[in-house]
Amino acid sequence: MIQLIPYIAIALGLGASLASFALRKRVEGGSDAMVKAKHALGTLQAGLLPAEFVSRMFDTADLKFVEAQASKEIRDLFVQERKQVVLSWVSRVRQQVVDLQSFHLGSARFYAGLSLATEFALAMDFLKLRVACRVLQVSVALGGPYAAPRMVLSTAATATRVCNVSEKSLAFLTPAYAMPTANRPS
Amino acid sequence: MDVQQAADDFRRRSLGGYPRPLDRMIYLASMRDYNTGLYYHDGLASRYSQEVACEAMADCHKEAFRNLLKSSLEDLVDQMEGYMYSTHTTPVDFLTAWRKLEPYRVAVPVESDPLSAQFLFSSFKIALAILESRLHSSPVALSA
Repeated sequence: MIQLIPYIAIALGLGASLASFALRKRVEGGSDAMVKAKHALGTLQAGLLPAEFVSRMFDTADLKFVEAQASKEIRDLFVQERKQVVLSWVSRVRQQVVDLQSFHLGSARFYAGLSLATEFALAMDFLKLRVACRVLQVSVALGGPYAAPRMVLSTAATATRVCNVSEKSLAFLTPAYAMPTANRPS
Repeated sequence: MDVQQAADDFRRRSLGGYPRPLDRMIYLASMRDYNTGLYYHDGLASRYSQEVACEAMADCHKEAFRNLLKSSLEDLVDQMEGYMYSTHTTPVDFLTAWRKLEPYRVAVPVESDPLSAQFLFSSFKIALAILESRLHSSPVALSA
């Protein structure tokens, strides 16, 4: 029995090093997800979701103006160009949502302290967003840039809601001096 | 505070002569060094400092870009037509150069969101096609 002690000690040592290695990888992976999430949040809030930009992109006044032009080539060019922009928008929104979701699935629970109800609502929003983005991609590819205006608005609204929750979850990464006074934790 | 003051000063003294966002964006892009991305304006730098002047002009450039992004396609076509006449080149030469060289691609601020820039470039392309079709249908009107 005494002869087994060195082997047990070696096994325990190996187990401990493996555990510490696994834990370190998880923390490193977590920081990567946090950086990606922070970047995704900035891109969504400043670039992709501002209401003014979304309404400009889907403004039918442009379509009416182009339809009033005599040339069919210009109308075709407009639809083709706007379709590409809208598809890029959907694809970029989807990518940023995926990055935010990875953060929430991984490390957010260690830092954010979200309630179970919030986590559930967030999970539903992520699911809704990913499905909506896929449906939008197909609708726009088949029906053109103005194929699903209501879905665009609801997708933008859901993404904004997800951003608001994510912003709170990532607030610990923002130094207090960089936050507006009203948002500073007391 | 200095940057804000310098930007207001710049808007009043230098940008006053450029009422259209398109003209402002192109003018500001021309004040930027291609190699460093820094903006230079001797008058503004002498009143404030080179760093403050550079930051103020970068802010004005972003503002012009945002305003241009808000413009409807119809408004963009009007702005482009107005800019075209202000350059004193013939419409044919202007439209050919803009279609081939796409100078608007280097006229946006460095930190522009890629999708916003893509949207603007795409609108420029359509606006150019509209102006070209007007030129072909009524060459006298555009060459006046």
